[in-house]
Amino acid sequence: MFDQNAQIDSDLNAAVPPYSYNPSAWSQRVPICILAGIATVIASYMALYQWRLIDSVWDPVFGDGTAKVLDSKVAQTMDRWIGIPDAALGAFAYLGDAVLGMAGSTRRWQYRPWLVLLFGIDVIPLGVVSSVLVILQGTVVGYWCFLCLVTAVISLILAYWAYDEVYVSLSYLWRVWSKTHSWRELGYAFCGVPSEQALAAGREIVEEAR
Amino acid sequence: MWARIVESMLGVWLLMSPFIFRHTSDATHLWINDLAMGCTLIVLSLASYWSKTRGAHWLLLVAAVWLIGFGRLNGTPPLQPALQNNLIVGLLLGMVAIVPNEASLPPVRWRQQENSTTS
Repeated sequence: MFDQNAQIDSDLNAAVPPYSYNPSAWSQRVPICILAGIATVIASYMALYQWRLIDSVWDPVFGDGTAKVLDSKVAQTMDRWIGIPDAALGAFAYLGDAVLGMAGSTRRWQYRPWLVLLFGIDVIPLGVVSSVLVILQGTVVGYWCFLCLVTAVISLILAYWAYDEVYVSLSYLWRVWSKTHSWRELGYAFCGVPSEQALAAGREIVEEAR
Repeated sequence: MWARIVESMLGVWLLMSPFIFRHTSDATHLWINDLAMGCTLIVLSLASYWSKTRGAHWLLLVAAVWLIGFGRLNGTPPLQPALQNNLIVGLLLGMVAIVPNEASLPPVRWRQQENSTTS
């Protein structure tokens, strides 16, 4: 029984090629969640200003630049479209990174690929697009926002940190597809439904690192 | 099951919302929505603890869509705080409702599969 538990435990924490570590390990995911948490707090702070729950917003570099960006016509238009301040929506996106980063075991790249890919979509494309938009704000709005730039840098770091796990999950799904050429098997693997083929694909990937 | 606890707390928040946001007595739709959705959130999140209804939290995604739609479509921006509250709770709920039960552990079927192959 002890050997069986030890085997399962070692499988859960096994390194996954091409990396020398497990991208789904807590040591990999917790820093992402902490950084996303910091970005959530910063974005929430800006949202509080847009809701006028605080009178001013801190900006040590551009003076009233942050306030002008948060009060800009672009921000007001976004507010009208969404119904809540755009900074609040940003806070939700970062909170989503943290929540999806926390969910799943240390082998979620195989057991819950849907969760890893959802996490990847939240972190990578949305993070990169929002960073580009923030960087463009200097030309569109005409002012720079220090806190927005901080969150943009955080987005890029998060995308870089999250990439390995998404890559491994996609590699696993590709291997299941290569073995079966069955959309059904691929769908099962994506949804985290165990099958002989999915089990074998995961084992093969882990064995390559040993 | 931390996600289910967060959902229950969001339900409690919705039950308190009419008093926090001071709904007027003629705003019946706001009262009904907040109280009914608050109860729904609590019931579905607690139902997820029972093995036979462990998937009940997926229904909370429907509740999340409802709350977002109710908040966004029930007025023209700038939305009143009570409607923004619905929108925000809906977004939070949608985020948390997709988190599986026992999220830190491998899924039950994988645990059974691994046990059967290692024994």
